[in-house]
Amino acid sequence: MPVKFSIFSLATVLFRPKAVFDALAVNEPSAAKVFFGFALWIGVLPPLFAYIGTMNFGWRLGVEPVFLPQHMVLAISAAYFAALLLGFLSSAVIARWMAITYDASQSLGRCFALMAIVGAPLAVGSVIHLYPHAFINVLVLVPTLIWSMYLLYRGLPVVLQTGPNRGMLMASALIAYLLVAAVSLLGVTVALWGSGLGPLIGY
Amino acid sequence: MKYEDRIVTAFTGCSVLWAVLGMLAGVYVAAELVWPTIDFGLPGLSFGRLRTLHTTLVLFGFGVSGLIATAFYSVQRTSHVRLFAPGLAWFVFYAWQLTIVLGGVSVMAGWNAGKEYAELEWPFDLAIAVAWVSFGVVFFGTIARRRMEAIYISNWFYGALIIVVAMLHIVNSLAVPATIGKSYSLFAGSQDAIVQWWYGHNAVGFLLTGGFLGMLYYFLPKQAEQPIWSYRLSIVAFWAFVYTYIWAGPHHLHYHSIPEWVQSLGMVMSLILLAPSWATMVNGIMTVSAAAKKLRSDPALKFIVLSLAFYGLATFEGPMLAIKSVNVFSHFTEWTIGHVHSGALGWNALITFGTFYFLVPRLAGTQLYSARMANIHFWLALAGVLLYVLAMWGAGVSQGVLWLSLDELGEVRFSFNDVMAAMKPYYLLRFIGGLLFLAGAVLMAFNLMRTFAGRRTVEIAPPAVPAARGLK
Repeated sequence: MPVKFSIFSLATVLFRPKAVFDALAVNEPSAAKVFFGFALWIGVLPPLFAYIGTMNFGWRLGVEPVFLPQHMVLAISAAYFAALLLGFLSSAVIARWMAITYDASQSLGRCFALMAIVGAPLAVGSVIHLYPHAFINVLVLVPTLIWSMYLLYRGLPVVLQTGPNRGMLMASALIAYLLVAAVSLLGVTVALWGSGLGPLIGY
Repeated sequence: MKYEDRIVTAFTGCSVLWAVLGMLAGVYVAAELVWPTIDFGLPGLSFGRLRTLHTTLVLFGFGVSGLIATAFYSVQRTSHVRLFAPGLAWFVFYAWQLTIVLGGVSVMAGWNAGKEYAELEWPFDLAIAVAWVSFGVVFFGTIARRRMEAIYISNWFYGALIIVVAMLHIVNSLAVPATIGKSYSLFAGSQDAIVQWWYGHNAVGFLLTGGFLGMLYYFLPKQAEQPIWSYRLSIVAFWAFVYTYIWAGPHHLHYHSIPEWVQSLGMVMSLILLAPSWATMVNGIMTVSAAAKKLRSDPALKFIVLSLAFYGLATFEGPMLAIKSVNVFSHFTEWTIGHVHSGALGWNALITFGTFYFLVPRLAGTQLYSARMANIHFWLALAGVLLYVLAMWGAGVSQGVLWLSLDELGEVRFSFNDVMAAMKPYYLLRFIGGLLFLAGAVLMAFNLMRTFAGRRTVEIAPPAVPAARGLK
């Protein structure tokens, strides 16, 4: 079955990922369609949830909540959205670059689709941002992350048409990049807080 | 003349034992942070002493024993000669293990030199210096008698480990003894702090990075049955690494009472360090990428592949945390603990586990007892380290922002106690992560013991090759 990669197929991506992988193995999607029809929309979810949650409940870090002015929350949510898009695009491009080494498909559309599928559970799991209690978010997002990683290991060999062994190696190499991207997000976040975009702090 | 491999077996066995005991101590202190009363009022079980025991056992027991085992194994094979002065090598073994045992007891009894990762008091410092120099004599003696002209890259890293750690340990431990269990550092104030972190960070650099890169450069090509992807890159990365690392220590002292320019120098050198670190990661990943076929049959290779991913993370995160505008948030928070463990568990422990799964069946002349158990260990280790790191990221970033938060009057908004109490759920998550990692290590110990129990050891002789030109 050909995959109609649109935000309306989110449920299929979440609940029948194997069927989507198999479909992608035979049908090459267009990168633009994956990006504008799917990735962009699921990318909006985490900053949107975070915005609503922060405005209503404040950041809950285990002590009394930290509330931020509306313009600040808006700016942080916009920066979050930009960081997620950058993360998505760079991961897909890097996957394509790595594909040369692992003898995998170098189709940009397939790389976009793979990264979109891997990111989908996290985007949906970010519904927990509606209540921005840091620990509860960690608790929900850790299993979601494990599911995403499972999808990466499982889907990569099929979607990018390489053997299971090479697929395992390439997925591990991609995990290295994703870990670095995750920690960069933390680093950039605290650097932005330090420059005034964030809670009232002093040092 | 056969290779001297019994010493390798002895060091490997002790390394596995110290891994289990050291990680157990780590899990116990992690539990103490969740349930503070489980020290039962006993000084020997207090957090301060057990935490020191944990770092001593995992760094010097597990880590160094594993490094000496693999250095002795690989230097013979890359030099095509038997180990130089085997008697001295056995002295190194007994001296080192005795130092760990008695040093561990002394730490629990409350002896402490007050320097992080160098807490053992002066009698142990002397013993370590003698054992370490002897290790150097055996290692370089073997290199001097080698029968091939080139000195293989793993030996450069092991060599740097031996020389630099000797220098760091001796200088940092200079002290005036007061009693058998107490001494005072020769350095005072800021100088003491600078010397301590020159030692501390280069112990990370030359022991936890350089030493284990020696392990990587010998055992990865062996396991993958592939030559290093780029030998030239490994040499360039070695010299860049050696030159750059030695300057990075002051990033541990950002915003402290040391000169501003020293802090900035430490930060810049830490950032430059990313280049040689990642050159090595790329070299490793490219080497293993040609060995995809072996992955299914060889559980050891999985550990090495994953260790490279965590090596990439830790060597990126380190320079990032060294940037002063990031460090102002992360300093003293759990983020630092998370960073150390993404390196120590994700890189050092995983590559050592992978190496042991390769090494022990060869030392025993038999197959690994259970590949299935090794696979279970792999998933336990991955889950454990991920839980640990994610919990500490959450805790660290929360701590950073809470500590620095101001109220409308410009006062500190949250008390230290409140912030500490808010960390409890993260500490519980970290405890679970540590427990999973420990469970994996216990499984490995059992698997390797059973492998060794069924041994049919065959002693191997160096190949009868003529000595290379210019060598006797």
